Amino acid sequence: MKKKLVSAMLCAAMVATMVPGTAMAADDATADFAGEELSILVSTGWMDNRYDETIARFEETYDVTVDLQTIPADQYSDVLQSKLSTDSCADIFWIQSNPFAIGSVIVDPEKYCIDFTGAEWESKMPETRLSSCTFNDKLYGLQIWHNSPEYVMVYNKTLFEELGIEIPTTYAELLSACDKIAAEGITPWFLPGADGWQHQLAFFQIGGVYEEATPGLYEGLNNNTATFADNEKMLEVLGQFKELSDKGYFGEDWIGTDSSNMVNEFGDRACAMAMANSSYIKQLQEETGSDDEWGLFLLPLGDNDTFPTNPAGPTMFGYKGTEHEDLVKAFFDFVTTTESLQEILDNSPSYTNLDMNDDGIEQHWLPEEEEFMNSIDKTKMSTPVLQTGTKYTNDYWSNFGADLVSYCQGTMEANDVLKNMDTNRAEAAKVAKDEAWN
Amino acid sequence: MNKKRIYPSWFLIIPIALYAIFFLLPSALGVGYSFTDWNARSLGEVNFIGFENYKEIFTSDKDYLTGIGHTLMFTVVSNIIKLIPALLLAILLNEGMKAKGLYRTLLYLPSILPFVIIGLIFKSIFNYKTGLLNVTLEALHLGFLKQKWLSDLDVVWKSIFGVDAWRGIGYVMTIFIAGLSAIPKSYYEAAQIDGANFWQRLRHVTLPMLSGSIMINLVFGITYGLKVFDIVYVLTNGGPGHATEVLSTYSYQLYSTGQYGMSTALNTILLVITAIIGVFVVRQMSKQEVQQ
Repeated sequence: MKKKLVSAMLCAAMVATMVPGTAMAADDATADFAGEELSILVSTGWMDNRYDETIARFEETYDVTVDLQTIPADQYSDVLQSKLSTDSCADIFWIQSNPFAIGSVIVDPEKYCIDFTGAEWESKMPETRLSSCTFNDKLYGLQIWHNSPEYVMVYNKTLFEELGIEIPTTYAELLSACDKIAAEGITPWFLPGADGWQHQLAFFQIGGVYEEATPGLYEGLNNNTATFADNEKMLEVLGQFKELSDKGYFGEDWIGTDSSNMVNEFGDRACAMAMANSSYIKQLQEETGSDDEWGLFLLPLGDNDTFPTNPAGPTMFGYKGTEHEDLVKAFFDFVTTTESLQEILDNSPSYTNLDMNDDGIEQHWLPEEEEFMNSIDKTKMSTPVLQTGTKYTNDYWSNFGADLVSYCQGTMEANDVLKNMDTNRAEAAKVAKDEAWN
Repeated sequence: MNKKRIYPSWFLIIPIALYAIFFLLPSALGVGYSFTDWNARSLGEVNFIGFENYKEIFTSDKDYLTGIGHTLMFTVVSNIIKLIPALLLAILLNEGMKAKGLYRTLLYLPSILPFVIIGLIFKSIFNYKTGLLNVTLEALHLGFLKQKWLSDLDVVWKSIFGVDAWRGIGYVMTIFIAGLSAIPKSYYEAAQIDGANFWQRLRHVTLPMLSGSIMINLVFGITYGLKVFDIVYVLTNGGPGHATEVLSTYSYQLYSTGQYGMSTALNTILLVITAIIGVFVVRQMSKQEVQQ
């Protein structure tokens, strides 16, 4: 009995000595980095102020300094490429990722990226986002982004009710709604063509409907066995777009109008709907002073009923050539804690949620978003939008937009718009030495 | 005596070195890269591909040739609409006009404004619905003159030329004024005694004596026209559609999509066209000067 007691006491003593030892070890782990500097290369708009508090806590916790190198968006790609090719990259760098971006932007992740496969935070990222962070089954990136409905139709619910218009679910219904709205002297659909990047969303955000019309289309477009040209559904959608343009339903001069006055147009009831993110409703509520209610519906061109799932988003990577690999790993661990994620969300006025598998996060979904999301069949959320679900398409966003304008102005045929996209994608594939195109 | 006035030739070393490092070398590298497949994904691996980029430019479905045509058209028109009014204004403001200094300053001011500011100002002025131009026309009961200034295919080039002239006339005028002030008054007095009217004085005295200023303005104007980018980019970005694309906007687009080799090939074409036209103009003007 005595022996048992002695051994139990000895065990307890051993455990007791280990406890401070462990604590010491933990302290040592943070102390290991003391005085080090962690550099982060990022484009404007990708971190903004939303990471400031988290970074400050990280600096305090590990007694390190974070050197945030924010580069203007239009120069970022060139700066990153030159830093990667000259082996002088920051410890952490960001790219605007999508399921093909690691291969096309970073080109050789084995050479440039820290392999995070097996990291605890991997399970925090939803499956759809993992596709933008992995390459050849290895995890390289961390994407912390929101999942608000992006570029769906935001509409004036009150105005629709007053005019007796139901939410359009087909193109015919959309056309009929536009007829009624235009008859009131209101622009049915505010489309800021002069921005150069918004109007083509009407074509690309409904990728699911093209895939449904031609099953296997995405796969075909990605292995060069299918083309945009001659695709009947795409031609149908382009035709519908031009019809709306010809009828003046995008406004008198949509090609020459930018989005700077869109809020006022909504506030003055000069327009009834527009493509926007769901968070735009918050902006309308705050800035227009209008009592009108706002809602969301799916873009009904081509009788679309699919949700614009978009796995793309700014994504951070650890630079393999860093001298602070453990500190980089510690940073990735740190920003994926529930506390950090909540902090990031709370410091992002334009986000209503974070798309992370973490029940501890208190999301700020808008009631309109919840209503909209609940109305969508979950099976209609599986196909990503065309621009990020197919290779090289997003690279020619502006060119397609210009072609679309030319088509609406009658200087180009619909099928030529699609053919140009095929030509451009083939050029990009050639540059990338994509075997499917060679 | 003369020897004292001639500086030793080693004085040229620094300027020549600076010129070589910051102009000749980058230009030569640019030409060299136009024969390679250099792109955003090459990450240091650049391969020589001969004339492939040039072949692509002249045979591609893309409208690079229209871009070249637009560039040449811009060069011709922008020079005409700036040179003639600028010359007339220079003559007007070279005479003993009241407050001519103020007018000269006012006319010169737009040429020192950055293109970005000009773009912002005129995009706002040209806005179809809320722009100052259309609103003023409406207020003056001239609503029938309202235009979609930057989105109508028949109007957009005129808008660009208008803004370009507004910006550039003062600069051209200043060079003319400098030339005019160097013409001896006695030439005009002699012509007047001979009974020459305004147009005869202009044709037989002013223009021949201004050939130096005309040449400077022409060479500057032509090189500016061939390299045109900013004014088009800030006003239309090559649009609506591709209606106002010029060589430089295509080159910019190619650079943006990471096709650096192709982009430098387009710039090399621009360099060759500019050099040919520049040399031709200088030769012609020099011949005329010799004849005079």
